[in-house]
Amino acid sequence: MSTASQTEATVDREVGCPVFHQDFSEPQPLGCHWALADRLREQGPLYFNSYAQGYWIFTRHDAVKDIYKNPEIFSSESITPWDPEPIYRFVPTQIDPPQHIKYRRILNPWFSPRRMDEADAAIRAICRRLVEEAAPLGGCDFVSEFALRFPTEAFLSVVGVDLADADRFLVWVEDFFRGFGGDPAGQAAMADALGGIRQYWVDALAERRGEAEPRPGDIASYLLHAKYDDERLLTDEERLDMLTVLVLAGLDTTRSQLGYMFRHLAMHPEDRRRLIAEPELVPSAVEEVLRFYTMIFGDGRKVTRDHEFHGADLKQGDMVYGLVSAANRDPRVYDRANEFVIDRKKNNHFGFASGPHRCLGLHLARREMQVAVEEWLRVIPDFRLAGDAVLMERGGGALTAPLELPLEWDVAR
Amino acid sequence: MKLFIDPEQCTGHGRCYRLAPDLLSYDDEGYAAIRGEAIAVPANQVEFAQEAEGTCPEGAISLLAED
Repeated sequence: MSTASQTEATVDREVGCPVFHQDFSEPQPLGCHWALADRLREQGPLYFNSYAQGYWIFTRHDAVKDIYKNPEIFSSESITPWDPEPIYRFVPTQIDPPQHIKYRRILNPWFSPRRMDEADAAIRAICRRLVEEAAPLGGCDFVSEFALRFPTEAFLSVVGVDLADADRFLVWVEDFFRGFGGDPAGQAAMADALGGIRQYWVDALAERRGEAEPRPGDIASYLLHAKYDDERLLTDEERLDMLTVLVLAGLDTTRSQLGYMFRHLAMHPEDRRRLIAEPELVPSAVEEVLRFYTMIFGDGRKVTRDHEFHGADLKQGDMVYGLVSAANRDPRVYDRANEFVIDRKKNNHFGFASGPHRCLGLHLARREMQVAVEEWLRVIPDFRLAGDAVLMERGGGALTAPLELPLEWDVAR
Repeated sequence: MKLFIDPEQCTGHGRCYRLAPDLLSYDDEGYAAIRGEAIAVPANQVEFAQEAEGTCPEGAISLLAED
């Protein structure tokens, strides 16, 4: 991947910081995005990428935190800095305060810790079935055979979607992320996928409309009855904008973090043994995966007013990119920042973002990752990477993900 | 020592009540249950209170010396 030193400036405005031209959407050998983020962060706190219309990149923990904590200056109207006017509108993802929290309060109970405790048995049963199916095979592509299927089924069961529809969602989600990261060639697929997901929910709402009571455990039915700010029913537009982003966020993100986590475990038998001996460390190990192996290369925001910020002369309408992957390994904040510390306590990472838009589904994501480790290690305590092919990850424009992860293990005959 | 969680800053990441389960718990939406009030930290919970403060990505938790 090229860096600041290899490219030249094409910006018609004095930005007062290094300028480069870089498309982050292309697939790379796994790990290249973190390595690039580390390099950029240690070379400087601020860059300007002249890709697309151009945007600022902040590389350090303090600036990324300040972007997240000041939504009145950094709007979520667009979260992709190379695409300031996206064709989608995700609710509540792209809604700013003060309206934002009113949508979040509708959804929060569905993904609360208490709800996850209630769902634990169902999530665990899904995971156990997939692990026990895989175990006798002696190997699998972890991404396609486990990491895509487990979170999809777990998420759909939590929101009350028929598991028979899982395969349709998987295709839409893959197609959406072909365009979301900024690859111009993926824009048509992204638009088609958005259309498919939306129509699915149009039909689901139509089927449930007019029912006197919400169907238990059915989020589409719930949204037909839910009230915004305890005042009015939601519009169908709002319902569809909420349901669409739930699917995209719920299915793709965890598959990525699962892939990174199991790659680490495959390469580190000492950590597998430690988690088996000390299962109480699983939650901190999961948290450390979210810091050290974050799938969020960076997170975008749109500037609402002219503002001097961490050395940048921001103008209204500028796009900024908080390089979460760099902030999460910032040695100014973390001891042993560039090590995976399985029992790390102080872990104020941004793997779930920060500020009002912190990940709605984080309790579900953690639960899925925790259950995956526990159930997998119970049945398949020893496994390793199969073969020595270079593993690739999806381009990091927005969210990276291992594209494949071949694992193998010994099977008793 | 007292522990205070700023209700304007807490967004419900849930890292504090995982690290300090005997001191902190959560509400129906996943926010720390005691946000907005200062609670006394028993001597045997001081270590966990300090970990909770350090792990909050919002900087919402502060530890105060007792009056």
